[in-house]
Amino acid sequence: MNNLFKTILHDRHVDLGAQMVEFGGWVMPIQYQQGIVREHLATRRYAGLFDVSHMGRFTFQGQDALTFLQHVLSNNASGLEEGESQYTLIPNDSGGAIDDAYLYRFYADEYLLVVNAGNRLKDWDHFQACLPDFKNVTMADKTEDISMLSLQGPTSKDILQNIIDTGALPEPMRNHLSITTIQNKKVLIARTGYTGEPLCFELFIDSTDTPPIWDLLIDQGAHPVGLGARDTLRLEAGLPLYGHELGMDPDNKEIPIYASPLSRFAVSLSPLKKDFIGRKALEKQFQAFKKIVDQDYSAIHDLPRCIMPVALKKKGVARAGYNVFQENRHVGYVTSGTMIPRWKIEGEGIFSKLTESHDLRGICLALLDSTLMEGDDIDIEIRGKQAPAVVVPFHMRSEAPPFARSIPWDKIGQEKKSPGEDDISGNVQSLLKKSIRNTKWRQEECINLIPSEQTQSELVRLLSIMDPCGRYAEHKQVGAFSEAEVFYYQGTDFIAEVEAKLETELKKFFGCQQVETRLVSGQMANMALFSALVDYINRSDRKNEQRRLRKVMNNHIIKGGHLSAQPMGALRDFVARDPLSEKPAVINFPVLPENPYKIDIDACETLIQKHAPELFIFGKSMVLHREPLAEVRRIIDGLGMDSIIMYDMAHVLGLVGPHFQEPFKEGADFITGSTHKTYFGTQRGIIGTDIKDEDPRFELWEAVKRRSFPGSVSNHHLGTLLGLLMAAYEMNHFKDSYPKKVIDNASVFAKALNDCGLSVAGDPEISFTETHQVILNVGYAKGPEIARKLEENNLIVNYQAAPVEEGFTASGSLRMGVQEMTRFGMEAADFEELAQLFKDVLVDNRTVKEAVIAFRKRFLEMKFCFTADQIGDNIQKLHELL
Amino acid sequence: MKELSELNFPDDVMYSDDHEWTKMENDEAVIGISDYAQDQLGDIVFVELPQVGETFEKGAEFGTVESVKAVSELFLPVGGEIIAVNDALEDTPELVNNEPYTGGWMLRIKLSDKSELDQLMNKSAYLESLKG
Repeated sequence: MNNLFKTILHDRHVDLGAQMVEFGGWVMPIQYQQGIVREHLATRRYAGLFDVSHMGRFTFQGQDALTFLQHVLSNNASGLEEGESQYTLIPNDSGGAIDDAYLYRFYADEYLLVVNAGNRLKDWDHFQACLPDFKNVTMADKTEDISMLSLQGPTSKDILQNIIDTGALPEPMRNHLSITTIQNKKVLIARTGYTGEPLCFELFIDSTDTPPIWDLLIDQGAHPVGLGARDTLRLEAGLPLYGHELGMDPDNKEIPIYASPLSRFAVSLSPLKKDFIGRKALEKQFQAFKKIVDQDYSAIHDLPRCIMPVALKKKGVARAGYNVFQENRHVGYVTSGTMIPRWKIEGEGIFSKLTESHDLRGICLALLDSTLMEGDDIDIEIRGKQAPAVVVPFHMRSEAPPFARSIPWDKIGQEKKSPGEDDISGNVQSLLKKSIRNTKWRQEECINLIPSEQTQSELVRLLSIMDPCGRYAEHKQVGAFSEAEVFYYQGTDFIAEVEAKLETELKKFFGCQQVETRLVSGQMANMALFSALVDYINRSDRKNEQRRLRKVMNNHIIKGGHLSAQPMGALRDFVARDPLSEKPAVINFPVLPENPYKIDIDACETLIQKHAPELFIFGKSMVLHREPLAEVRRIIDGLGMDSIIMYDMAHVLGLVGPHFQEPFKEGADFITGSTHKTYFGTQRGIIGTDIKDEDPRFELWEAVKRRSFPGSVSNHHLGTLLGLLMAAYEMNHFKDSYPKKVIDNASVFAKALNDCGLSVAGDPEISFTETHQVILNVGYAKGPEIARKLEENNLIVNYQAAPVEEGFTASGSLRMGVQEMTRFGMEAADFEELAQLFKDVLVDNRTVKEAVIAFRKRFLEMKFCFTADQIGDNIQKLHELL
Repeated sequence: MKELSELNFPDDVMYSDDHEWTKMENDEAVIGISDYAQDQLGDIVFVELPQVGETFEKGAEFGTVESVKAVSELFLPVGGEIIAVNDALEDTPELVNNEPYTGGWMLRIKLSDKSELDQLMNKSAYLESLKG
């Protein structure tokens, strides 16, 4: 092994007892003393540390670097912002892979490309051969100057957080980057990896600085892991390896890039990539792939086989090169396979846990005829015998941080629970009893602190189930009758009156000219408004495909944004794809580094200038601060932009007014919202605007009405419409007292929790919150368990991921709102008492269920609603009519 | 991988060139693989053994042992009829790593020809062959 390269950590590996082997021209640890199985399991449960310095690292600089990379790589490098990275391939002319690679942009003016160790020289020569066509590109091989460590697994985040001196971890999203120092050494960190772990980091460090950082990571509890487990981890995650799933197949035919599911996503056919190497062949593969998805095999010759995950049904080991058959017909080869360990899991759903025991399962990746599909039974020939196997969608899932979860072939999907006995009177009785029990429990025994909920008054509830709840009253304005509302059904005069009065009350409350009340949810209100905006921006062209919103600025979901403003939620069909990133054209409001719940207005201005969003969506579901409407209005007016500002006020609709925000005075064009959180209403949605009839944008308001009816609803649920009118009367009657009391109570509750030694999110200078919400930090990924524990004590809260967490399963926060209990008469001192009950459960680990029930008994009578003398004896009549 | 001095080679078993061990218990031979063999293989994840009742000649392949990275054939050091196999290896193949001479045993056979035992090595001869 004398002629081989050694990484800077070579002696460390030998000292740790590693078994050293030749790999890609390097001497590398295949395993340490724990062995491959233990190293694999340690990565999945704790954190694995890998020396991956053998991989090739090239940097590209200069004016034409991007153009060059666009030519020689398959992915769209122009979509990479500073601080981002992407998986990519180095394609050849025939649409196969010379190599696969990862492209990092730590600095605006430098790209770093990581390639496979064994392909480094080949890749370098290929790039050099392409280079003469590009003028200003400086390419350097930094493999020996910069080392690369990979830290992967559930505890990796804690380990890194403990040792970072300056800078911060990258944003909690895959492929994000940051620059830090550890022990005064510069360490570049990427949220990337080759294990499928949801918590994953790769570190780039000057080689001479690397050994002490390796030692520090080991001291912090990282388990050294060799190339053996690196391979089983990537196999379980279904990630391709060059030479197996990419490159040449066992028949010595080239594997098309589109054959590999992950690699497919690393190909961009954007016009920005011009005529890059392999484009024509890849376009053919793409066309073939689209047809195959539709089970049309007419172009299958361009993509005859694809890589699919395969699981053995019995114990056994299928290895690379083994033949695969379907009903005795040869359908392909295993490309990678072995038996791998998995932690056994017990429990159900989000409360399921890794046990202390493990087992082994035979899994592989196989290159199979593209006609095969998930669920197909196949046989793998293992030393002359046929071993039954099945094509599976995946071997593992990574979407529930902090753990990657193995999914054995017979555990894909939930087992369907068998339906109960078909005993109709038993079913009826049971449903009634449970409904009664549930209502008594939530209304009389629980402290309800979900910030998106409210109990409606008795009147509101009764009205919601009066006769209109079963009726229809579709209507629209008709120009032929001078915009008179025309109703399509008879018997609707009362509803017409209710709807008109509701509009009047809401306009009064919000201080605006127009309100649309027919939407039956907040999310529907947003979709109707998005749809109206698309309708409006296309008003001069009704013949061509209607263009979508060019760019939208919103709150990212992990920074408190709600699904109803996200491309993964209600925004999906209304926002364009960004031609640069090929992702939905959405940018997020930047937040302050010291307070991620607050928008950073200075940083905002730069982004607005750069992106010129057509639509701004304010509003959050995790909200501690007022939204900076006025500031953003000033910026866009200053820039002369014609953008629309909408404020989704779902959470804070009932707080509108001088104590919180007055959206139209501050510059909003539209508000949307659900009517049942801080607002007293039934569960519905509304849209409001201050656009006046004579305003040039009135056409947009007309579009809103059309996209509400008939665009979103036909029946607009008249029962809850009636209930909402009563709620609007209540809201207007109490608008000077209720919002202020809610906000004051939230501050008192937050402060009291903080005084109990609990960790409250937000700025203590402003008593933590400017809204009805209080956010408690309970520890990374502990949210679901602690919320459950509180529920067992009749304290109803909801767990949420904080802005630094990777997803809801990693939630470390509890989100609470005081609006409902304030309505039931809780005062500041009562919230201080409630904080003590939280402390009893969370700090002293006591059971307080009985104390909570007794506490709730003091707050059974609803305030902020009309009194008996205001109502008269009509309430009895409503009851009698049911 | 370990040094020879760190490995365990009991005196009461006999060894073959293919790194199997054989131990006579009454008239039956118990067979497994040596500590050296398991160490070379690394983590064993699967052991494939024959059916009880099958008969093999000396030197015949009777099964395979698979580590994460590679498969190795198993050869019978002495011929005979299989009268028992170690079923525990199906779920806990790591017994071959952890207890190669006890819990990690593989087969029990009724010998066809006892004289075949004479061709096996004792501990010192086996160690000598490993050093060679």
